[in-house]
Amino acid sequence: MKKIDPTIIKETLYVLVCVVILSAVMQSVFLIIHKWDYTVLLGNLLTGFAVTLNFFLMGLGVQKSLGKEEKEAKKVIRLSQIYRYLLLIAVLVIGVVFSCFNNWTVFIPVIFPRIAIAIRPLFNKKSDKMQQTTTSTEAPLEQDNQDQQEDQE
Amino acid sequence: MLELAVGIILGCCALGAGVAMIAGIGPGIGEGNAVAKACEAIGRQPESKGSVTSTMLMGCAVAETTGLYALVIAILLIFVAPNMLVNILLKVIG
Repeated sequence: MKKIDPTIIKETLYVLVCVVILSAVMQSVFLIIHKWDYTVLLGNLLTGFAVTLNFFLMGLGVQKSLGKEEKEAKKVIRLSQIYRYLLLIAVLVIGVVFSCFNNWTVFIPVIFPRIAIAIRPLFNKKSDKMQQTTTSTEAPLEQDNQDQQEDQE
Repeated sequence: MLELAVGIILGCCALGAGVAMIAGIGPGIGEGNAVAKACEAIGRQPESKGSVTSTMLMGCAVAETTGLYALVIAILLIFVAPNMLVNILLKVIG
């Protein structure tokens, strides 16, 4: 079996964390409006798991297609998309048909990964700023070291 | 007459779901193109593989969202809307 790219694992973990946080927010909203019961939790778990799996499978599809020719890569990613759509259709239909899942909580988590990606630049900006500060503090130290070496010579 | 009205409701829901799923074609084409260009970019600069993969993954997820919205609308139109609309019709008729 081919090794999974660490980038894909990292991004999937990020999406998973965001889905968990947003699910917690949704559950708390249902609690506040006194509409919470076990169906809300079950629906959320079902779709939350499905959308995270969908993202991970998309990553695997992308990884598989990266080492290939342009046309073949297109085919691989389209095929991957069809399979993932079928998976999501199955999950959503199960969520709607069985009454043990709340309809709202089956559909709302579908947009959680999109929200996670929309807020991604905020975290990137923070990490960029941190990198800039570390490089600005490291640069004078390196200059001092170089000066000392030149003096010794 | 009532049967005809219910038939029209069901037919329109099915048609609406079919039309909504046209939106599922776009993400497939878009993702395919994005991945193809990413392959080209990585072929040109293999050292940038990590950043290209990360950006492309996010791009693919964004592109796919429109398809997911369409899927949700289609499933709502098939499984939820007919019951709701028929109930409304029955209430109106009395």
